[in-house]
Amino acid sequence: MFKLAFKNFLSSSGVKIGIAFLIITGLVSLVVGNQFLAKQAENVEATAAYQKAHISKNVQYHPDELGLLLYYVKFSLVNQTEPINSLSIGQRDVNPSIQSVTIRGLEGQKYDADLQNPSNLLLGNIDFSFVLIYLFPLFIIAFTYNIISEERESGTWKIAAVQSSNLFGLILKLFTVRFLVVVFTLFLTLFLAVIFLKIPLNTRFWLFGGVSFLYILFWFALSFWVASMSKSSSYNAVTLLSAWILLIIVLPAMVNSYLVSAYPVPEAMETTVKQRNGYHEKWDMDKKATIDKFYNHYPQFKTFGYPKEDFNWLWYYAMQQMGDDEAASESKALREKLEMRNRASTRIASFIPSVHMQIQLNEIAGSGLSNQLRFMDETGRFHEQLRLQFYPAIFKESPASSQQWEKFEIENFSDNSMTSATSAALPLVVAILLFSVLGWVRFRTMVS
Amino acid sequence: MLEARSLTKRYGSHLALDNLNLIIKPGEIFALLGQNGAGKTTTINLFLGFIEPTSGSALINGIAVEEHPQEIKKHLAYIPETVTLYPNLTGLENLQYFSSLAGFNYSKQQLSDLLAHAGLQSQSFDQKLAGYSKGMRQKVGIAIAVAKKAKVLLLDEPTSGLDPKASNEFSEIIRSLAAEGTAILMATHDIFRAREVATSIGIMRQGNLVSTISAQDISANELEQLYLQTV
Repeated sequence: MFKLAFKNFLSSSGVKIGIAFLIITGLVSLVVGNQFLAKQAENVEATAAYQKAHISKNVQYHPDELGLLLYYVKFSLVNQTEPINSLSIGQRDVNPSIQSVTIRGLEGQKYDADLQNPSNLLLGNIDFSFVLIYLFPLFIIAFTYNIISEERESGTWKIAAVQSSNLFGLILKLFTVRFLVVVFTLFLTLFLAVIFLKIPLNTRFWLFGGVSFLYILFWFALSFWVASMSKSSSYNAVTLLSAWILLIIVLPAMVNSYLVSAYPVPEAMETTVKQRNGYHEKWDMDKKATIDKFYNHYPQFKTFGYPKEDFNWLWYYAMQQMGDDEAASESKALREKLEMRNRASTRIASFIPSVHMQIQLNEIAGSGLSNQLRFMDETGRFHEQLRLQFYPAIFKESPASSQQWEKFEIENFSDNSMTSATSAALPLVVAILLFSVLGWVRFRTMVS
Repeated sequence: MLEARSLTKRYGSHLALDNLNLIIKPGEIFALLGQNGAGKTTTINLFLGFIEPTSGSALINGIAVEEHPQEIKKHLAYIPETVTLYPNLTGLENLQYFSSLAGFNYSKQQLSDLLAHAGLQSQSFDQKLAGYSKGMRQKVGIAIAVAKKAKVLLLDEPTSGLDPKASNEFSEIIRSLAAEGTAILMATHDIFRAREVATSIGIMRQGNLVSTISAQDISANELEQLYLQTV
């Protein structure tokens, strides 16, 4: 019977077109993902080559003055792009994946992003998460809105209802057939992604696949509940499409609007201004006071004393340091606000499967806000490490040749933090159970 | 066996079926005649369990329909006025699908025999139902009902729209099922078909069974006269 139910479902030309469309858009998303990976790899390669050439050129220009040389030289930290990032690009196209910093004040450099074409950002990416979150539900609706209702309208259901003494079982079979077809399409696309994008079959991938599976199941549970109301096909279609618009467009926009107003980040501007003022006003202030503050921050450098010259690199970098120190509280507040925004959006998303899905896929793929915040933290550590490495040589007025420049290659940040499977799955499981039970109760009443 | 005990169905102020009492024994074919809205289809739907009675009860082989709506389905088969099946499946596949719903897994040969017995030409077995005429679909419907081996058969205007040859073939099958002990209730507008097939005929008017006649005791012309006088 299953075989015939499959044949009956798949023989409809509308279903064939729908499945072909899903597979084609899935393949397009993989191509988009591959382009993203290629661009990221190209950027990293270009940055590595640029850093090498840039250091070499500046060492030639400023062989005797390390302070001046390091005024110019940038060192790059790369937020490693894992192949799975390409399935859910998330914020990776908005936020920089490479931070190139000098040892000067960090705060002013943190937000020097790569230039992106705004029209590309406006259009967004047709990545796999887009196909899954936006398009799969549309086809689930198209495949399920008329289960039972169409048969009831055409008269087939009367014969089926008389033939079967387990109508609920028949209803489940009809849903199962459609569910298996959609899940097959999902895993076929993911299988192709593994081959085409060379995604390793690790925990991250299986979690990505598992959560995607649950999202599909959620939409089937919702359709199951709507079908259980025993209304007409047109009523079911309108109800499900309204649910799609609400979950995919209206609620995410409302959540975003709420988060922006509930957690404004004026600290972003204040941090930049404070850092700039913190540094610039030191030119007109007593050098000793600036250097004292610097020594309070780094007591290990006190042995370098107080230079007498009008200009000295110790004083200059102390001024730079003061910019960061004076913007520290705003920077911390900004960081906390972003964390709060992230936590709030995750909390609210628990009740909105589409938003939850987007956040979780980004988190699993390492392209969400949390990844960006961790990368920014790592950039801070990277910058601090560079300062601590170069400060003694600068203060000793060592020549450029005192450093082994060939050792300064680009560094990589690998985000190994892992999303909890429970927190990723639980909201979806609850929603699935809710709609399944509601549908089950109504169907049992209908068929008993 | 089919039994209606004071079976009544009311839709608001409209009395669709009023206190119907009826027994159809195994081997009997009872034809319900009446105009549109007389209560024929309501009676069929009450026996099928598609609607609940306002009062009274419908029984299939002694089991109350409203109390055991799933259980009674094991005992009955049904052919509607228009048999609508799955157009993308062949006649053979439709029969296989609907038989398996009833728990019967027939071989391809058995399914072919059932379709042939219902009068369908063998070259149509593997054609998609989308290309079938109404008569051919009715025959698949008959095969589905026969395949269920039910002891009660409910027919709602089963020969409506069929050509005379197909109607005759249909009558033959109905008679042979009755001869095998099936109790059959048939709602129809076709006086002559009712007279030809049925063992008993009931005439309904405004939800009431106003007259019950043995088909043997009345000629076709007399039945027509009685029908016209009654309705």
